[in-house]
Amino acid sequence: MVGLSGYLIVAAMLFAIGVVGLFLNRKNVITILMSIELMLLAVNINLVAFSHFLNDLGGQVFVFFVLTVAACEVAIGLAILVDFHRLRGSIETDDINTLQG
Amino acid sequence: MANVVFPYPFPEHLTSLMPEIFVAIAAMALLLIDLFIAQDKKSITAWLAITVSLIAALLSVNVMQSEAVTAFYGFFLLDHFAVLAKVLICLGTAFGMVLSIQYMKDEEHLGEYYVLMLFATLGMMLMASANNFIIMYLGLELMALCIYVLVGYQRKVLRSSEASLKYFILGALSSGMLLYGVTFLYGVSGSFNFAGIGTGLAAAGADAHTAIMLGLVFVIAGLAFKVSMAPFHMWTPDAYEGAPTPITAFMSVGPKVAGFVVFIRILADALPSLQNEYTMILTGLAVLTMAVGNLAAIAQRNIKRMLAYSTIGHVGFIMLGLIAANTDGYAAIMVYMTIYMFMNMGAFAIIILMNREGIPGELIDDFAGLSRVRPVYAMAMGLLMFSLAGIPFLGGFWAKYAVFMAAIEAGHLYLVLYALLFSAVGAFYYIRIVKYIYFDEERVAFNFEESSPMQLTVLVTTIAIVVLGIFPGPLMDICKQALAGLL
Repeated sequence: MVGLSGYLIVAAMLFAIGVVGLFLNRKNVITILMSIELMLLAVNINLVAFSHFLNDLGGQVFVFFVLTVAACEVAIGLAILVDFHRLRGSIETDDINTLQG
Repeated sequence: MANVVFPYPFPEHLTSLMPEIFVAIAAMALLLIDLFIAQDKKSITAWLAITVSLIAALLSVNVMQSEAVTAFYGFFLLDHFAVLAKVLICLGTAFGMVLSIQYMKDEEHLGEYYVLMLFATLGMMLMASANNFIIMYLGLELMALCIYVLVGYQRKVLRSSEASLKYFILGALSSGMLLYGVTFLYGVSGSFNFAGIGTGLAAAGADAHTAIMLGLVFVIAGLAFKVSMAPFHMWTPDAYEGAPTPITAFMSVGPKVAGFVVFIRILADALPSLQNEYTMILTGLAVLTMAVGNLAAIAQRNIKRMLAYSTIGHVGFIMLGLIAANTDGYAAIMVYMTIYMFMNMGAFAIIILMNREGIPGELIDDFAGLSRVRPVYAMAMGLLMFSLAGIPFLGGFWAKYAVFMAAIEAGHLYLVLYALLFSAVGAFYYIRIVKYIYFDEERVAFNFEESSPMQLTVLVTTIAIVVLGIFPGPLMDICKQALAGLL
C-alpha cells in the first residue's frame, strides 16, 4: 500500500517539472501550455490524495472544478496563441520580444 | 415514481446574491441585444453596460444587511467589507467602460468587449464575497480569463497580442502556484472554508509544519502575482503597455481591489495562527516591491509603462496595511484603493484624450508644453500627478497617511521610514511630468479629441481627489465601519 507521502512526492515532482519546463523552455509556447497542464495535474493528484487520506470528499469536488477551469484556460491560451501567430508568423519563445520588460 | 429527496435544504439568503445574479443575466442579455445594434451605434451597448455596472453597485448597497450573512452553506459571505469592495469594483468597471467608448469605437465585434468586462466584474464580485477557496478560485479565473482576452482585444496590433500572451502564461503559472498551496492547507485542515482552515491550522501538530509552510508560501506567491508584488511583477509592465489603454485603466483598479480583498480575508480568517511567518514574508516582499516599482518607473519613457511601475510602487505602500494586520490597516487599504481609483482613471482619461491623428500620445515627451496648448488638461494632469506623488492636501496624501499610520501603530516604524524614502523617490518621476507640462517647450502638436464623457471623467476624478484631499474624514469612516466586523 502506497502511503500519502508517495503521492505527494510524485505530485511535487510533476509540479517541479512543470515550473522548470516553463522557465527553462527556449523552444515554443506549446511546451509552456503543456508545462502549465502538468502543474495543474500535480495539484489534482495532491487534492485526490489528501481527499482519500482525510476521508473527505471536498478535495475530489475541487478536482472537477480545477479540471474544468484548466480546459477553459487552455482554450483561451490557444486562441491567444493563434492570434499571435497570425501577426508574428512564429510561436517561438525567443520571438515574443516586442515589449521589453 | 420514486420519491427524490434533495439531501440539503434549499439555500437560504439567496437574495444576498442579487447583484451577482443581475450582472450575470444582464451580461448574457447584452450579448444578445448587441446583435441588433448597428456597427456605428455601438456606443449604445457601452452605455447599457455602464448602466448595468452602476445598477450592480446600487444593488450591492441595497442587499447589505446590518450583520454578515452567508449563503450556499457558507461558501458565499456578504458583509460590509464585501459590499464596499463591490461598489468600488463596479465603479472601476463603469469608469473603464466610459474610457473605452472613444478609444475602441473603430474595433470590430465591440459588443463582446463590454460583455467581457461585465463578466470580469462578476468574477471580481464573487472574489469579494468568497468565503471558501473553491468560489474564490472560480471568481479569480472568471476575472483572469476575461482580462487575458481584453488585453489582446486589438487583434491587429502585435503588442496587444503579445501582452495578452505574456499575461496569460504568467497568470496561469500564478493560478497553479496558488492552487498548489491551497492543496497543502486543505491537507492539513481538511477544509476549503477560510475559517475552517484557520481552526484546522491552529490545531495542527508539529509534524504538519512543513506542509503548512509550503501552503503559506505558495498561496502568498500566487496572490502576490495577481496584485503584482515584486518579484512577481514581471507581467505588469508588458500587460499595461500592450493592452488597450482603457483596459490598462480597468485592470489597474478592479482586479487589484478584488485581489486585496481576497488577500485580507485569507490572512485574517485562514492564516491568523501564522501571523509571524506571513508578516516576515510580506515585509520582504514589500521592501522589494517599493524599491522595484519606484526605481524602475524613473527609467521609463512610455507613460503607460511608467504608470505600470507606479502601480507596483503603490502596491508596495498598500502592503503596509496588510503587514499592520489590524482593522485600521485593512481599512487603510480600502481608503487607498478608492483614492487610487480616482487618480488612475483621471490620468488614463487624459492619456487617451491625447491623440495625434490616430497616433496615441503615450510618451512622456508628448506632455511637453501641454500647459500652453491646453491649460485645463494641464492643470488636471498636474493635480493628478501631485496626488499620485502624495503631496499634501490632495487625495493621494491621505491614502498614504492612512496606511503609514496603521503600520506605525502596529509597530513597523522602520518599514514606514523606508516607505517614506521611496515615496520621495516616487515623487520625483511624478513631478517630472509636471515639469514637462509647465516648463518645457512644446515639441509635438496634439489635437485633443472632443469627447464629452471623457472630459466629464477628467473633471469628476480631479474634483474627487481635491475634495477627498480636503475632507478625507467621511471616506475613512466608511472604510473603518465596513472593516469593523472582520476581525
